[in-house]
Amino acid sequence: MNFRSLYRNSQIFKIALGIAILVVGYIASVFYKQMQSLESSVNVITNATETQLELERVLSIISIYETNLRSYVITKDKSYLEHRFLRKGEIEMNFIRIKKLVANNPARSKDVDQLKRMIDYRFALFKETLLLAESKNPGKEQLIAKLKESSDFTESMKTFVYKTINAEGDKIKIHNDNHQFELQDSIISAFLLVILSLLILLLSFNKMNVDIKELKKANDDLQFLNHSFNNAEKIAGFGHWKIDLETKLYTFSDNFLRLLGVDPNKFEPTIENFSKHIHPDDVDFVIKSHKESLETLEPTSMMFRYILPDGDIRYIRSVGSFTRNSKGDMIKTGVNYDVSDQYKKTLELEENNKELKSINEELESFNNIVSHDLQEPLHKIQMFISRIEAKEIDLISDQGKVYFSKIKLSANKMQTLLIDLVNYSRTIKGDKVFKETNLNEIITQILDDLAINIEDKKAVISAAILPTIKVIPFQMEQLFINLISNSLKYSKDDVNPIISIFEEEIFENEIYESKIISNEEYCKIVIVDNGIGFKQEYSSKIFNLFYRLEKDSKYSGTGLGLAICKRIVENHDGFIQVSSVPGEGAEFAIFIPRNI
Amino acid sequence: MITHKDSIHILIADDDEDDRAFFSDAMMELKMNNKLTLFNDGKDLMEYLANPDIVMPHILFLDLNMPYKSGFECLKEIRADSRFKEVSIAIYSTSSSEKDIEETFIEGANIYIKKPNDFTKLKKVIKEVLNINWQFHSSGLNKETFFFSI
Amino acid sequence: MRLYIKYDGIVACRVILQEQLERLDISYKLLELGEIEISNSVTKENLAQLQEALNKYAIFVVSNEKSQLIQKIKDAIVEMVYEKDKLPSVTISQYLSDKLNFSYGYITNIFSEYTYTSIENFIIIQKIERAKKLIIEDELTLTEVSYKLNYSSVAYLSSQFKKVTGLTPSAFKRIVDKRRNLSN
Repeated sequence: MNFRSLYRNSQIFKIALGIAILVVGYIASVFYKQMQSLESSVNVITNATETQLELERVLSIISIYETNLRSYVITKDKSYLEHRFLRKGEIEMNFIRIKKLVANNPARSKDVDQLKRMIDYRFALFKETLLLAESKNPGKEQLIAKLKESSDFTESMKTFVYKTINAEGDKIKIHNDNHQFELQDSIISAFLLVILSLLILLLSFNKMNVDIKELKKANDDLQFLNHSFNNAEKIAGFGHWKIDLETKLYTFSDNFLRLLGVDPNKFEPTIENFSKHIHPDDVDFVIKSHKESLETLEPTSMMFRYILPDGDIRYIRSVGSFTRNSKGDMIKTGVNYDVSDQYKKTLELEENNKELKSINEELESFNNIVSHDLQEPLHKIQMFISRIEAKEIDLISDQGKVYFSKIKLSANKMQTLLIDLVNYSRTIKGDKVFKETNLNEIITQILDDLAINIEDKKAVISAAILPTIKVIPFQMEQLFINLISNSLKYSKDDVNPIISIFEEEIFENEIYESKIISNEEYCKIVIVDNGIGFKQEYSSKIFNLFYRLEKDSKYSGTGLGLAICKRIVENHDGFIQVSSVPGEGAEFAIFIPRNI
Repeated sequence: MITHKDSIHILIADDDEDDRAFFSDAMMELKMNNKLTLFNDGKDLMEYLANPDIVMPHILFLDLNMPYKSGFECLKEIRADSRFKEVSIAIYSTSSSEKDIEETFIEGANIYIKKPNDFTKLKKVIKEVLNINWQFHSSGLNKETFFFSI
Repeated sequence: MRLYIKYDGIVACRVILQEQLERLDISYKLLELGEIEISNSVTKENLAQLQEALNKYAIFVVSNEKSQLIQKIKDAIVEMVYEKDKLPSVTISQYLSDKLNFSYGYITNIFSEYTYTSIENFIIIQKIERAKKLIIEDELTLTEVSYKLNYSSVAYLSSQFKKVTGLTPSAFKRIVDKRRNLSN
């Protein structure tokens, strides 16, 4: 997944934002900690500086006091001693302040306590020196010794104080260095914080912008879709509706209402208002089915009628099914569409179908009439003819015999016609069972059936090896019988008929009626004779029903034979062609698909 | 042993008077030793066959298209009765439809004859049928697979 | 329910003859099919009893010599068609005159006189009967059947089949199958 798509994914964006906020929070808390430690550093430094100051002040007081005492010893001027107690008081104050300052530092407190003791001792020395100096007879050496002791002690006290001051100074120095570092850290943290916040802000802003753009686009698309949908509804003649099962509120699309023939703006969407427009014979069933479906949550599909305000009746198909909306509430949505035209067409079609069926039945009964009822009287006529021929023919006059032979001829012709008609009707009927059939077996069978005819004509019929294909066997038999009979019938008087049957390869995409065929798809069987032939221009007509080329009674025929052939070949999804030169014979070619 | 010198007992049911006449004339002219009984329709035939005392016929000719009871119905009834299992049944009809031929054979007919349109032919057909039926009777051939269509 | 059985009529016939002859205590010797030698001491009553017993199985004692001969001819033909796995290649006239010790002319004349049919026709009928059996048994293809019955081609068998039955072998098979389905 590339960055762009990561960026587009708002889930990931939210996570990133969360992490960023956590980071900012962390940095902020670090910054706060740093600030706090900075503040405590400042406190420590101030504290140390003040401690130093106070200590120095204590020392200076001691020094002043010492100087004053010396001056007094030398001058005996009492004024030098004026502030003696005041000074002591001052030091007490100083100590209270120092104590406060070093309260947090136990080591320093100890130092201060020690200093206090030293100062107390110093003051004791002052007192002793002063007493010595004020005595009537002060021993000079004694006094000098006392002064020396005092000044030594002051020195050691000074050393101690300075040591303490220095310690405080070191502390300040360390803190000061830390302070520098901390300050730098804080600046970096603060800077990072600002940058990061800015970045998050920028990203958020950008994201928001993108989202808003997308939202706007989606909104536009939705609006367009809605618009198209409304248009589509209008064009396709359907309307949609829905009911929220929680709120029980109905929504009908504009076109839904248009189909009802009402103004979309003046219709209150309730089922009661809607049902007013349903045909009274249908309304109970429609409302019942609908209400039931709301209980069972089963989809509905029904057909009923609207009565439009102008009284027009429309046939409506309504389908509905259940789904959940974004809030998770169950809703039933559906579509109603006007099927009046289809319905009327279906009715028409059914009517036509019925008619066709009855015509078919008539045809079937006609077939029965031809094949049975008509044959029965003909059979009788022929039987009686044969009876007369055998027994009574001698009793008839010569003219009568001529008439009689004409009767016989007509009866025979009628019989051929009936047989052909039956055969033709059999090619139309539905019972077409395809079976893998060896065409050679069929030819052998036929030659057997036609044996007498072949013998009469002294015909030579040769069949090469023919393929085995899927055909309707009895129809194939009929096809070859008709074609061979045809060749035998239209043979020349003075030449023995020669008929050859063979399979021929289809030459490279032989074209038949602009249809391209190949050897893989079709098998081509050719029947060639040396008969009287005909002009090529009749080649398509001779397959027509009852079309006869030769009117000469010598070539008796019904005009059905080749029509039957054509039908049979068409029943096999194939086709038949003929080419002929008058006086030279005819060549029939049948094309049968290899795979049916 | 039955020889051809014994009489052959033949029944025929055909509602057409002329066809019955043609048939009996043909039988007569064939001069075969036989006893022919004619019935006007299937109902008459079945009533006759219901009598337990009758001489069992060798062969029965049935027209298909008959009033009251068609040849097809007769065929089914006769084949359902084991009394007649040795009787050959020949269908004798104007129809030559493959459907009729196959269905009657399936229902137990042995012979199917399309009524010829020529008396000489009729004689020939009857002779051939009786002959082949005779072979099946006299040579112990399997009646279950005895079919002859002409 | 129906059972379809295959049987050998000749064997069945022999078994029946043996059983009945033994039941009546007649000493016998089965010669060729359709011929039994029994001792001359058999009484007339015994013989009548035997005839009566055999008539139940549609086996008839034939006394007429010509009838006997016809039976022999038929038996020889049936044997030829059924027993030998493949029909003999010698001519049928040769086969029959050798087997029956009569001239073929005499045989055909007497056969036609008594049976309304010719020997040739009878052979065809018997061959087609065998073909029917083989087709129903459905173990051999039509080509194999035609070879087994000495036909030069399937087409020749088919056309002879159609001549004798009026049906093609496949229509015959279809009818027999449907008949069986119907009776089941």
